[in-house]
Amino acid sequence: MLEQIELRVKGLNFYYSGGIHALKQINLPVHSKQVTALIGPSGCGKTTLLRCFNRMHDLYPGNRYEGEIHFVKDNILSPDTDLINLRSRIGMVFQKPTPFPMTIFDNIAYGLKLKGINKRAELSERVERALQHAALWDEAKDKLNSSAYDLSGGQQQRLVIARALAVNPEVLLFDEPTSALDPISTSKIEELFDKIKKDVTIIIVTHNMQQAARISDWTGFMMLGELVEFDTTDKIFTAPAEKLTEDYVTGRFG
Amino acid sequence: MSETSKKSPMDMVFASVTGIASFSVIIFIIGILYVLINESSLAIRQFGVIQFLTSADWDPVKNSFGALTNIYGTFLTTILSMVFAIPVAIGIAIFVTEISPNALKGPIGIAIELLAAIPSIIYGMWGLFTLSPIMSNYVEPFLKKITVGLPFVNIIFQGTPMGIDILTASVILSIMIIPFTASIARDSFNLTPSVVKESAYAIGATKWEVVKNVVLPYSKLGVFGGIVLSLGRALGETMAVAFVLGNNHRITTSLLDAAATITVTLANEFAEADTDIYLSSLFYLALVLFVMSFITLAIAKFFLLKAERKYSR
Amino acid sequence: MMTHERKRRIEGIIALTFSTLAAFLGLFWLVFILGDVLIHGVKALNLNLFLNDPAPAGVDGGGLRNAFVGQLMITICATLIGVPVGVLGGTFLAEYARGRTIARIISILADIMVSVPSIVIGTFIYAVMVKPIGHFSGWAGAIALAIIMVPVVLRTTEDMLSLVPWTIREAAFALGAPYHKVITQVVYRAAATGILTGILLSIARVAGETAPLLFTSFNNAYYSLNMNQPISSLTVTIFQYAMGPYDSWHSQAWAAAFVITIFILLLTITGRLIIKWRYR
Repeated sequence: MLEQIELRVKGLNFYYSGGIHALKQINLPVHSKQVTALIGPSGCGKTTLLRCFNRMHDLYPGNRYEGEIHFVKDNILSPDTDLINLRSRIGMVFQKPTPFPMTIFDNIAYGLKLKGINKRAELSERVERALQHAALWDEAKDKLNSSAYDLSGGQQQRLVIARALAVNPEVLLFDEPTSALDPISTSKIEELFDKIKKDVTIIIVTHNMQQAARISDWTGFMMLGELVEFDTTDKIFTAPAEKLTEDYVTGRFG
Repeated sequence: MSETSKKSPMDMVFASVTGIASFSVIIFIIGILYVLINESSLAIRQFGVIQFLTSADWDPVKNSFGALTNIYGTFLTTILSMVFAIPVAIGIAIFVTEISPNALKGPIGIAIELLAAIPSIIYGMWGLFTLSPIMSNYVEPFLKKITVGLPFVNIIFQGTPMGIDILTASVILSIMIIPFTASIARDSFNLTPSVVKESAYAIGATKWEVVKNVVLPYSKLGVFGGIVLSLGRALGETMAVAFVLGNNHRITTSLLDAAATITVTLANEFAEADTDIYLSSLFYLALVLFVMSFITLAIAKFFLLKAERKYSR
Repeated sequence: MMTHERKRRIEGIIALTFSTLAAFLGLFWLVFILGDVLIHGVKALNLNLFLNDPAPAGVDGGGLRNAFVGQLMITICATLIGVPVGVLGGTFLAEYARGRTIARIISILADIMVSVPSIVIGTFIYAVMVKPIGHFSGWAGAIALAIIMVPVVLRTTEDMLSLVPWTIREAAFALGAPYHKVITQVVYRAAATGILTGILLSIARVAGETAPLLFTSFNNAYYSLNMNQPISSLTVTIFQYAMGPYDSWHSQAWAAAFVITIFILLLTITGRLIIKWRYR
């Protein structure tokens, strides 16, 4: 199978506005239509790295990138990058569900409307498709016009995933998407990954090693702002090259 | 704790003293209501309720009193000032929370607090000496000029621009209300969780779209409460308008005419009311104002509490 | 597709530009008003203003000693009445009635009272203090201001006491102290800066009040320390002088406005600085 690289991180350094050097010389390939997991102890920089891919750090003044991240052909860290366009191509799902203060339907239609899709029929069709994609259609189809806050936490998280999927992104970033959920909701979302990775490249940050082992194809282990090891998930969890990685995945620290 | 406190007589004394002090708030409110009703009973008997509220006749010489001109002036200046103030206040709140570089947030925040602390008499005096000439020399002639041929619109700018009129009073009132409204709106905006904003950015929304579609809907209860609170304050403001409204008991259609609000009538006429029925009618006006603003403020408080509960969930 | 995105961006730029303009409009008014008060005020400021009493109407010269002293006396008396009532009332809400419905109700009513038109409070005091006695008095003005102060002080005190961790009280109870001693000796001390700030801000609030004094303390063209008689105040004098026909009155009104604005802004800034320094 010929593997395509969707994103390639080259010599990435990242500094927070206070001057903290949070990411050090990261090099990493992200394989197309596969799941890449980032693991490591708290504060290792995995979320910081994830938020580089859609330039989320730009929302707060003073943060600084060095190095390159290539997305297809372009370096997305270049100052000329159109952030609005970038973020509609690389979506993100957060730790806690983040429904907008609108109805369920409008939550999902929101991103579509931003893209200029205004015809009711097309909106309905795409909202339904996104909800089915996120395995929420059966539960939500009768209350599309009620507030998104009426859903349970797990349903809200699937709504947010549906919202992200609706705009057909090329990449989806997940920042510990199940850490605020109960086990049943968690397993529903894990099942989703298998389904959606046919269409979209996934990068997920998780502190749950079993989760990384279950759902990902590739795993990167990070510590103190550095990428210690990156390989196939099998390799990382069965025969890691680095002693640090082995200690972490076998639970000897962290 | 209650075991020991019940046994100590000093503690009973202290608890009672603090209790009385806190009940003073209720006593004031009931006291004000009772005293105002009592003092205005003469006017209430003579003019009734509906007639008093709907009569535009305010004539101390004939001892005939109706509140309509005052109520009309109060509503007109309040509504106009809100129309001027709300967009600016929301704009300020958006600027401070979403646009301003961090270095500017502090100074602008302080500026808003200081504007809110300046006493209303300063606004009023400044309005009389500085704003009123600007209005009569430049702004009002300009407004007359551009509306001259327009039907209906030219009616509201009829008359000689004197600078002592409804328009000037409303502008001053709006300047005074802006910082107050802006700071409540800012506090409400700040309650929007940043992760919800981030997730809107994360599907490619622009900054304005995040404000319009996430921040504003999220904080609408608080902002609405703040607006009603400002409205309640504007209704009862005296000194900011007393200097530049004139004291004209007529219902006018032109914003370039003098008018009277309840507060301005009280400020100008209370100390010199020479007959019982005149004074009683002024008390009646005060009663109307008290009830009106109390209800408005209570509605505002209701929405602010609701907003608070929603966010703390 | 392109045009749609273009439209979104342009809409965003327009909206954000308007917000920025709004913010600068707000700043503009502040600079305009303060600058105006400063320029006219400083020009009219001189020592005679504080040392002399008013000259007869229309005659140049004279000062506002009566108004400065009167303002000070009214404000001090109002503070001496309003602050204890407010602090004690806030104590009841945060301590003895903590969590009870009655505390919620009084707290909400106090919030409403803070914004009730101050001129209404003037009419109330006129009815209960001026009319029965038959003449205006300094005390009537002071009590009108005190009524405005009470809810302000009461609410800040309640908030500040609620911020004191419950464990501190438990520690004091554990030593066998009765509740009133716990409050006065421990809780007040822990919340002292916050309460003080609330008092400062409430003084700033009433020091500029005019409407409730118009028919309570009224005005007095002569120097008087007698709180049982009408007494002059800066704010009522500003109203009278600014609306009056003489240029000398106008410049004195600016000077008085300058002094009172500086006083209030200093109090406000001090209060804000204390909050910043203590609670951040």
